[in-house]
Amino acid sequence: MTAAAAPSAAEAGLVSCRTCHQLTRPVSRASPGYCPRCGAALAWRRHHSIQYTWALVIAAAIFYIPANALPVLTTTALGSTESDTIMGGVIFLYTSGSWPLALIVLVASVMIPLGKLVVLAYLLIQVQRGAVKNKHDSTRMYRLVEFIGRWSMLDVFVDAFVVALVQLQPLMSVEPGAGVIFFMAVVVLTMLAAQTFDPRLLWDTASERQAFGA
Amino acid sequence: METVACPDCDLLQQIPPLPPGGKARCARCGETLAQGRVDPIDLPLALTIAAAIAFIVANTTPLMGLSAVGREASTTISGGALQMWQQGSQITALAVAFCAVIAPGGHLLFLLTVLIAVRRPPAPRWVGEMLRSAHFLEPWSMTEVMMLGILVALFKIAQLATVLPGIGMYAAGAFVFLLGAVLVTFDVHEVWARIEWIDGKVPAPTPDASATGIAR
Amino acid sequence: MPEPTYDSLPQATVVPPKRARISIIWIVPLLTAVVAIGIAVQRILSEGPTITIVFTAAEGIEAGKTFIKYKDVNIGQVKAIRLTNDYKKVEVTAKIEKHAADLMVEDAKFWVVRPQITLSGVSGLSTLLSGNYIGFEPGLSEESARKFSGLDVAPVISGQPGKEFLLNSGDLASLSIGSPVYYRRFPVGEVTGYDLQPDGKSVQITVFVRAPYDRFVVASTRFWNASGVNVSIGADGVDVRTESLVALLVGGVAFDVPPFQAPGNPAERNTAFTLYRDRAIAMKAPDAIARHYVLHFTESLRGLSVGAPVTLLGLNAGEVTGVGLALTKGEIRPRVEIVLYPERVISYTTKTEVQADRALLADEQRRTLLFKRLVEDQGMRAQLRSGSLITGQLYVSLDYHPGAPKAKIDLTQETPVIPTVPSAIADLEQKLGSVVDKIDRLPLEAIGKDIGKDLATLDHTLVSATKLINNADEQLVPGLKADVEDLHRTLIAVERAMNNANASYLDANAAMQEELRNALTEFSRAARSLRVLMDELERQPSSVIRGKIEPMNGGK
Repeated sequence: MTAAAAPSAAEAGLVSCRTCHQLTRPVSRASPGYCPRCGAALAWRRHHSIQYTWALVIAAAIFYIPANALPVLTTTALGSTESDTIMGGVIFLYTSGSWPLALIVLVASVMIPLGKLVVLAYLLIQVQRGAVKNKHDSTRMYRLVEFIGRWSMLDVFVDAFVVALVQLQPLMSVEPGAGVIFFMAVVVLTMLAAQTFDPRLLWDTASERQAFGA
Repeated sequence: METVACPDCDLLQQIPPLPPGGKARCARCGETLAQGRVDPIDLPLALTIAAAIAFIVANTTPLMGLSAVGREASTTISGGALQMWQQGSQITALAVAFCAVIAPGGHLLFLLTVLIAVRRPPAPRWVGEMLRSAHFLEPWSMTEVMMLGILVALFKIAQLATVLPGIGMYAAGAFVFLLGAVLVTFDVHEVWARIEWIDGKVPAPTPDASATGIAR
Repeated sequence: MPEPTYDSLPQATVVPPKRARISIIWIVPLLTAVVAIGIAVQRILSEGPTITIVFTAAEGIEAGKTFIKYKDVNIGQVKAIRLTNDYKKVEVTAKIEKHAADLMVEDAKFWVVRPQITLSGVSGLSTLLSGNYIGFEPGLSEESARKFSGLDVAPVISGQPGKEFLLNSGDLASLSIGSPVYYRRFPVGEVTGYDLQPDGKSVQITVFVRAPYDRFVVASTRFWNASGVNVSIGADGVDVRTESLVALLVGGVAFDVPPFQAPGNPAERNTAFTLYRDRAIAMKAPDAIARHYVLHFTESLRGLSVGAPVTLLGLNAGEVTGVGLALTKGEIRPRVEIVLYPERVISYTTKTEVQADRALLADEQRRTLLFKRLVEDQGMRAQLRSGSLITGQLYVSLDYHPGAPKAKIDLTQETPVIPTVPSAIADLEQKLGSVVDKIDRLPLEAIGKDIGKDLATLDHTLVSATKLINNADEQLVPGLKADVEDLHRTLIAVERAMNNANASYLDANAAMQEELRNALTEFSRAARSLRVLMDELERQPSSVIRGKIEPMNGGK
């Protein structure tokens, strides 16, 4: 039997536990029960995957705007105050001569969150449309999103440490700006969105999808 | 059972399943043909212990010191979160503390407990719970992101002050490395195989088991 | 060769692992543990003691940030700050570095260093940038301690060798902590403290003189207040004294041994001295012999004040002690009391003669006789003189006046009367008075009238000349000539009159003469230019005529 022809677990009526990957026979179709090995609640597909993921993606998209518009760091040096947004920080690093770091921050703080939002939205649309164009690529994209998500937290850590260290009143002191919270929200929400999205939906046939009503 | 030909004397022979750490020698000339896998539990355990020690050091010693115009400041990881809290960004402080201290620490702690418990199979049920929690915490353990963040922060600061890396920094780096090694060598299946099932049964050899309707 | 079936193949020898073989991987955690323990041990060993300091206020002190510095080296850091149990003070907990642990003795001092601008200078400016820190001064005790009481002000002495002395003064007189102490204008110490005496009548000031200069403070040393500027306006003129610019601003104390004293041995620490108001008073030799005299003058005493000097042949020999009026023989007359210190005059002679002179003066009889002779035979009189025209201060001068009328002096009286002569001021007044009279007598009016007449004639001439120029059609050439001659003559007359007036004027009225001269110069200039015109007309009168009167029959 080739891979293409083999049935999926759902087709075969089996549920795989999400945490311990134990294959089990569900108690019933409607409520599969609990994993006998690890005790986790069993589910055919992640609970309300499409709904939750959409909600999280949209929320993250909304927060993305203030995250970039509001300053993330406010520097006070000898009385004069200066605020920097994320892009401002990138530019500062670039003009300071360290373009590799500028690139890293640009990628991590601007491109990755945006990319995650775009990819997830794309995947969701694909799933909802019913016909996933390129299942392999889509799955790869999902894996990428899931893996790379945590690196967006970079800027939050940068801010935290700059603030923690540069507390040399009255010479110089740094304060976190309002943008940090929004940015952090974006990262967290996108990470959660990646977790709620069930990539198996990409491979489900239309009938399956309907059956599991994600 | 694997069939090989000895590279030294060309004898055709079969290699039976090997005990962990055991070696297969050529029946004729004695050349080492294969080595049994090291105990899949001990290796990650050793690394986890080392990672735990590194983690403790990284959190208790200052990460780095900053000196400018005669003033000095130094911070630990939790110090950074504390500063954020004091500066008013409490939510961010909590998030940083979670991602940099609580999640990695918890993750490591759970892994450690599981590995120790699993040395003598079968491990009790709660170990399974713990492993599940560890699995859940894993994506939130962001120490390596933090390290890169520190690097960028250092660079931003380096222009106005002299930065001196502290012991905590090296310990954090060691931690990241060791944790990575742990995750690579951690064989989930092996571990799960040694954990008692929810319904009290020792792991069944059959791959498909019935789900229970009983909640944990 | 038949295909070997896999079942018939031999099996490789299995070498089981040695019992209780410990995987090499365990080295990793072992190594980590060793390193961690090493770090922990090193930190524990390098920990210094923890101390607490109680301050009244802890401005700018931050837990975990503020350092304790000694000689600019960090010896500790503040770890925690909290209020004391009675909420009155602040308790600072600090961790001291291991290498500085031995410095923590009982009388060690701690204070907060912050930017301060005081009269003695600006200090602690660097703390504006670096934040306040706690200063430290080691103590001399051998007992180690962990609890301290912080000072409010930085201690002034910083363990330097030297001596402290106490000065008694009527008031603090613009001194403050840190005010410098000078010896021969060289700073050798500073004021370290002051306090009001229990009876509230005087102030005791503590000064610290650094070694090795403290040996210059001897038993006979006099201290004086060298603050500010000593401006004295007296009959000697205006005297401005200041010790240094710093003393000008923050006050200062100076000391020296008076010239009449022998130096002596260095004084013990905490010896008490008197703080004199200024150098002059401090250095003044006590005058043993003092004689009082009375003077009667006939002129105004305005400008003579108590304390004004009395000079003998130009040298300071005493001072005025009283200025007033006396009612004698039915009339009120000015009366001045003076005191003479004959000893002062002695100090101006050579040393060998000083002894002899001292002996002379000590003998009262001989002294009295000498003075009597000076007054009666040599014409020594008292006279008021102007010390300074600017201030109008007067002083009393005893000098020889050979031309003065004879007078006697009765030295048996308690306060003998020294005969006086009128002051030079009266003379000046008289002279001025005569000058004014002379000016008054001048026939200024008559001269003025003459000039007036001449000027009027001049004016008239000018008017006519103007008319001539304007009315050129008139046959005025001969008349013009006459007019010009007239003018010429007038001018000469005026000039002569002026010269006459010039001769009769006093020299003192040079200004008026000058003005008059200027006016005349102007007039003669005008007349001269007019004369030029006249000359030309005289030469070519036809130009005037021809130019204008054409219809006339071309004759002259």
